Amino acid sequence: MASYYVIILAIGQGAALLLLAPLASGFSRVLRAKIHTRTGPPLLQDYRDIFKLLKRQEIVPKGAGLIFRAMPFILMATLLLIAMSMPVLTLASPLSAVGNMFTFVCLLALVRFFFSLSGVDSGSTFAGLGASRETTMCTLMEPVILLALFVAALLAGSTDLGRISVSFASPSQGLIAAELAVTAAIAFAAFVEMGKVPFDMAEAEQELQEGPLTEYSGPGLALLKWSVRLKQLVMASFLIGVFLPYGAAASPSAATLLWAAVVFLIKLVVVFVVVAVIENSVARNRFFMTSHSTWIGFGVAALALVFYLVGL
Amino acid sequence: MTGLQLVNGLASLLIVTSLLVIEAHGVRRSALYYALQSFVLVLIFVALAATVDAPRLFLWAAIAFVTKVVLVPFIMYRTLGGVEDPALAPHRLAFAWSILLGAAVVAICFVVVSTVHLPVAAALKPALAISLAHFFLGLACIVMQRNLLKQVFGYCLMENGSHLTLALMANRAPELVEIGVVTDAIFAVIIMAVIGTMIRSRLQTLDVRQLTSLRG
Repeated sequence: MASYYVIILAIGQGAALLLLAPLASGFSRVLRAKIHTRTGPPLLQDYRDIFKLLKRQEIVPKGAGLIFRAMPFILMATLLLIAMSMPVLTLASPLSAVGNMFTFVCLLALVRFFFSLSGVDSGSTFAGLGASRETTMCTLMEPVILLALFVAALLAGSTDLGRISVSFASPSQGLIAAELAVTAAIAFAAFVEMGKVPFDMAEAEQELQEGPLTEYSGPGLALLKWSVRLKQLVMASFLIGVFLPYGAAASPSAATLLWAAVVFLIKLVVVFVVVAVIENSVARNRFFMTSHSTWIGFGVAALALVFYLVGL
Repeated sequence: MTGLQLVNGLASLLIVTSLLVIEAHGVRRSALYYALQSFVLVLIFVALAATVDAPRLFLWAAIAFVTKVVLVPFIMYRTLGGVEDPALAPHRLAFAWSILLGAAVVAICFVVVSTVHLPVAAALKPALAISLAHFFLGLACIVMQRNLLKQVFGYCLMENGSHLTLALMANRAPELVEIGVVTDAIFAVIIMAVIGTMIRSRLQTLDVRQLTSLRG
């Protein structure tokens, strides 16, 4: 009984995040337009874009190989696995075999790896440049995420994301300063991973014509766009589900799950509003200055570790 | 959550606010962050007074509120607010290094404090480590910052750190000690603010590395 429930929850959670992803990005486009005081696209525009692209013909560059063709599917599958394995509505992880901080970091790295590899494989200059930027961002952000997650694991006494979420839901341990610093570091990392404006390095629309996405078209581009949206939603849900899990269901019943879904959606809206305010109030970073900002994230994570060691 | 945990948690906020004071853009923001930090210090005094049963600390908190949250930031804001040196604008990478430096200083201070046997403040060792680290952060600010006015803030940070140490170790000391500490701070800040503005008007710079010549 319990295992069926867990599998249904995992699949439902993944499907819900997948279906919500274009809505979330549409919402941030609407917010962007509102901040610019213009009308902007309708809320459901991203669904229309994706469906239109799915019907179009796919054109593959001459020299492109297997990686280029397989990448959209790998990206989508990996992100769906992350979406299914992390705790979102419940405190425990639905797929606890995969819902581990190490698998989480590795799956994120896998996404980046194939994203940049396909850019190189396509043979386009823009895509290649986007690919090299993507790997640079990976090197800059992975220490932040890893260090913050290590401190979270030390606080929870387990590397399981569900356990971490349980320990963050009940701040009875007294190590509040460390918990807050970890949450701040993860929030920073999630913002960078969402690829919003000061950190939209790889897919920079204005500079690189969307980087590794340049050579894609038709269904491949649709899947990729959907995956990029899904990644944004997954990072936001990761922050909410693991580090701000107040209101998540501790016991599996329909009423608590419904309540958890309502609370989750409210938190998601808040996160997206905050992200929209930040991304629309800053200018683009020069690429070589990015490391200056990401080091701040690493500093916060290091501060979290020290707070944990000192016992704050 | 117990009162001691609250004291320790608030003490960690001191480190965060002092990093903000050190790396803020401009004196006005630094002064505001300093006021915020002093307010955290006042909250620590209140929490400590309620937990360790030291009623005198309430009075300390009141005095510290008047002098450190209101008076000193006000003086800084008014006298130094317009004094800027664009050449000394803080750097984002420097901010990252200060955070890492702050983390290292806290860790070292905790190691130092944990080797000392203190029956008075056994449960407050984290806060004690923070107060010590806070003192050294202020010292680091004085040594490492090229901006003259940031060095004044470094002095204030050192002063806040030693104030917290005093509250943790000797919280039943008479108010006279407290009044002595804060008057000392106020007069030092006034004198340094006046000297800072005079240097700026005579030499057109706030960079201590350029203060190499005598000018009347």
